[in-house]
Amino acid sequence: MKQKMKSSIVLIVLLLISVNVNAQWKKNKANEDSKIWRYDLECEGIGKQGSKLVKVWSYSKNPKHAISRAMKNAVHGIIFKGYAGGGTGCTPSKALVGSASKVEEHASFFDAFFLDGGEYLKYVSAATDGSIAPGDRLKVSRREYKIGVVVNVLHGQLRKRLEEEGILRGLSSGF
Amino acid sequence: MYKSFFTICLLFISISIFSQAKKPTIMVVPSDVWCNQNGYMLNFSDQGSVVSIPDYKRAFQENAEVNQVISQINGMMSERGFPLKNMESVIKSIESNAAEDNMRSSKESGSGVSESPIDALKKVAKADIIMQLTWTVNRTGPKKSINFNLQGLDAYTDKQIATATGTGDPSFSAEIPVLLSEAVIAHMDNFTSTLQVHFDDMFENGREIIVRIQKWNDWDGDLETEYDGEELGIIIEDWLADNTVKGRFSTTDMTEDMALFEQVRIPLYNAKGRAIDARRYTKALSSFLKKAPYSIPNKLVMKGLGRATIILGGK
Repeated sequence: MKQKMKSSIVLIVLLLISVNVNAQWKKNKANEDSKIWRYDLECEGIGKQGSKLVKVWSYSKNPKHAISRAMKNAVHGIIFKGYAGGGTGCTPSKALVGSASKVEEHASFFDAFFLDGGEYLKYVSAATDGSIAPGDRLKVSRREYKIGVVVNVLHGQLRKRLEEEGILRGLSSGF
Repeated sequence: MYKSFFTICLLFISISIFSQAKKPTIMVVPSDVWCNQNGYMLNFSDQGSVVSIPDYKRAFQENAEVNQVISQINGMMSERGFPLKNMESVIKSIESNAAEDNMRSSKESGSGVSESPIDALKKVAKADIIMQLTWTVNRTGPKKSINFNLQGLDAYTDKQIATATGTGDPSFSAEIPVLLSEAVIAHMDNFTSTLQVHFDDMFENGREIIVRIQKWNDWDGDLETEYDGEELGIIIEDWLADNTVKGRFSTTDMTEDMALFEQVRIPLYNAKGRAIDARRYTKALSSFLKKAPYSIPNKLVMKGLGRATIILGGK
């Protein structure tokens, strides 16, 4: 009886370890896929005042990783890339931080900001309850997917946060 | 010890107060095109030729859409920490001030408030930067779309310093006010980002102003009068070269009677760290000309933050 109990405890512990390792491995894999910030951003329509409705196309070998990284990519895109337009009625949007020197200067802030579960999550939300339209799930090569997710980025609040951090100048700063 | 500490604190406080540049005022104004298309014009005959000017007061009283758009733009600019002057309120203030001035008289002598013809002419709604607003409704069958154009114009240099323009998404069902609201939301970020570029340039290269030099009819000198072998016009140019940011200015016109200097880049602060505008900057030139060997009495006239005129030969 005692022996049986011992072996089942060992089994449970091993199971827990393997689940944890697997989760960590998946996370690392997803991070690896999005490490080089490979994504495309386009305007999806006119959002509410102070927000931008965008479709972010993320690339990954695993479609699940692309979906999980969509929010991070969208916030990154609004800050560093901007977009040239989209459908009719969309206007181009410039990157909030256009200068490369600013990125280097505030590298530690951005590293912490874009950590998994980091502050970036405050400024983005899914616009379609996480569902992906059939046309937005594309297999671009034998081992790669391109997934389009529509998200809403709180552009106004994001800009204010970067102004507070001294990364951006406010319209009235200096006056 | 305490006294010197207190003095240093006061010094720091005064520097921080004075280290703010003079903030330009901004006002949204419906464009002449919009007023004309919507029938808000005043027509009158000026010696036989018909002159049309926008009737802003009637536009604000009769058109709810213009109020909606201006209100939304004002709100979005306030959110960015840059509240705007509201043109409708400015027009009302001017009218009530004029009525009060007409009624006011001195308790002792019964005299009215002094006002020169120039003062009367200057009593108009004005701002340092004008946001000129135009929109047109495009209709193709039942489909409607809004063509939106917002221009930021420097009131003194006449340069366009910010812009946002484009056509919105055509819609079968949306009402015009909804399409207008969408257009404002879609374009304001681009407008403010181009305005920010202008402000960044101003902080780096100085404020751009216009300086005019004129002379009174009865002054016996002119801009070709020589002092120590140098013409007065050249002396003024040299002064500007020495006192502008990186020596930047353009001599647009120079005759014996007048000179016009454009793109004059002035520092935002003087030697004492105080914020300066065109008037404070040109005051230094006025004082320079009053002193020997020139000894030219002159009058300094200003127009907002960015335009100043010196009239040579007297006050």
